[in-house]
Amino acid sequence: MSAGMPTQPLCSIIGSVGIPADKLFRGTSASMNGSRYSGRKRWTVASLILVFLVCGWFLGLSPAGLIPPDASHWDRTLAFFSAALHPAFDYQDANVPDSADPIWLKGVKGLLATIRYALCAMSLAVPTALVLGFLGSSAWWPEPRSRLADVVLRAVYLCCRFVMSFARSIHELIWALLFLSAIGISPMAGIVALALPFSGTLGKVFSELIDEEGRDAAELFKAIGHRPVQTFLVGIFPLAFPNLVTYTFYRFECALRSSAVLGFVGIETIGLYIQLSHEEFYYREVWTYLYLLLALIVVVDLVGARIRERLHHPTLTWQS
Amino acid sequence: MSAAFQLDGVTCRFGSLAAVDDVSLTVEDGEQVAFIGPSGSGKTTLIRAMNTMLAPDAGAVSVFGQDVSSLDTGELRRLRSEIATIPQHLGLVPNLTALQNVVLGRGGQRGTLRSIRDLLMPSRADVLEIHEILDRVGIGEKLYSRVSDLSGGQRQRVAIARALFQEPKALLADEPVSSVDPARARDSIRLLVELSTEVGFTLCVSLHHIELAKEFFPRLVGLRSGSVVFDAAPDQLEGSQFSDLYELEDHEMMTDA
Repeated sequence: MSAGMPTQPLCSIIGSVGIPADKLFRGTSASMNGSRYSGRKRWTVASLILVFLVCGWFLGLSPAGLIPPDASHWDRTLAFFSAALHPAFDYQDANVPDSADPIWLKGVKGLLATIRYALCAMSLAVPTALVLGFLGSSAWWPEPRSRLADVVLRAVYLCCRFVMSFARSIHELIWALLFLSAIGISPMAGIVALALPFSGTLGKVFSELIDEEGRDAAELFKAIGHRPVQTFLVGIFPLAFPNLVTYTFYRFECALRSSAVLGFVGIETIGLYIQLSHEEFYYREVWTYLYLLLALIVVVDLVGARIRERLHHPTLTWQS
Repeated sequence: MSAAFQLDGVTCRFGSLAAVDDVSLTVEDGEQVAFIGPSGSGKTTLIRAMNTMLAPDAGAVSVFGQDVSSLDTGELRRLRSEIATIPQHLGLVPNLTALQNVVLGRGGQRGTLRSIRDLLMPSRADVLEIHEILDRVGIGEKLYSRVSDLSGGQRQRVAIARALFQEPKALLADEPVSSVDPARARDSIRLLVELSTEVGFTLCVSLHHIELAKEFFPRLVGLRSGSVVFDAAPDQLEGSQFSDLYELEDHEMMTDA
């Protein structure tokens, strides 16, 4: 297959996906005679592939885009990936003074800073998300309620939904750029930039997880005279709690990655070291930092799994 | 007023179907009544009308002498805190402990903040009292067990304990024995009736198990298609009245098949 000329990218993509166009067509039309369900499923798959092809065509997508265009790029690619096998145990930069921290210590300090940013951001985001998720859900609304109460509740609901959508529709990197241009590089800018979109996402998912829970217990508490908010707090929230913790852990992992990425706009996390080493083509240093980051994510994942297990399948109760 | 529950021409409709059809019924204070009838006869709906969770489409419900439809939200809540309910699904929070589930029984009297405190750090007096209640219903050692780790029979006991801790004037139980084996079913019914006599609350239980109802309850109310078919003491009823209750009508047989 010839390299992707912008005029013929579609053919090369079809070739690369491995489905001849005529077979694609026959598959979908034949399924019309089959059961309705499998027909629908095939249509769905076919239309997803079609969407991919159309999008790829507009982007001028071609597998050739992954191939380095010339020899110097080839060299750099090779250098980068072969460095993965030889991460640096000492600085590649000869100008680093002897008094500086060894590279592993610098990396670990960068990781600790990354963790601190993620923890601070999550400490702001989780309470905010709990409040927003609560106000942005209708599970605790009293029934029946006065007209005024109804209007107020709906207004609060819509406001919170809007705030959550707005906060999460802007990526943390963009928030960071906005804050940095406004107040310069400060830790607070990084933390708020992380906390804003994370509150939005956490709040939305919290309210959805809560809404998915059964209403049997809530119905009972209502029947024995609990107030609406009380019913929500004791009859619905505890049911959703393990799922909320699990999701929060997942988001903490995301926060670690995001806080590392904030290094690319100058916040001093491990991302900053990665970027600086990368700019100087010190690929082995880059891989040292990447491996440290990978180790951190694996550790967080293991700890999270232990906590999840305890929450969902307790072997001991807290009191015993 | 000494009547615990008074229903006058109560009708509850779901769409075109009248689940409870023009039922008039008085349950005196301290009485023990079993509602019997096949599934779909309106037992659950009747109980939901009595615990004020379902407003009837026609007729009036009075509980402890108060006309339910005339109460405002706060008064209704106070009234509900005096009626314990054990629904068929029990309404327990599975990932909380037995203690936490039971302590919430008094939430109607105690309000929101106190309930949160009760969940996180229950008072010593409450723990002792709840332990005693759980002992009485036979699962004292399960105080700190999560409800999700308990068997069906044990869960039922937790629901009974929660109702007792509520210190209600009346207890309504909807098919409390549908999910346990016959021996345990008998134990549970006996326990409810004993407790009702001991503590002195009004007890209304819906049952499809006629033998149990005849053995333990001094008053049986037969329901069929939402109407009261008989309302008498078990020794005044004849066998044919029970078999009539369960004999399917032609259209019922078609829909059940």
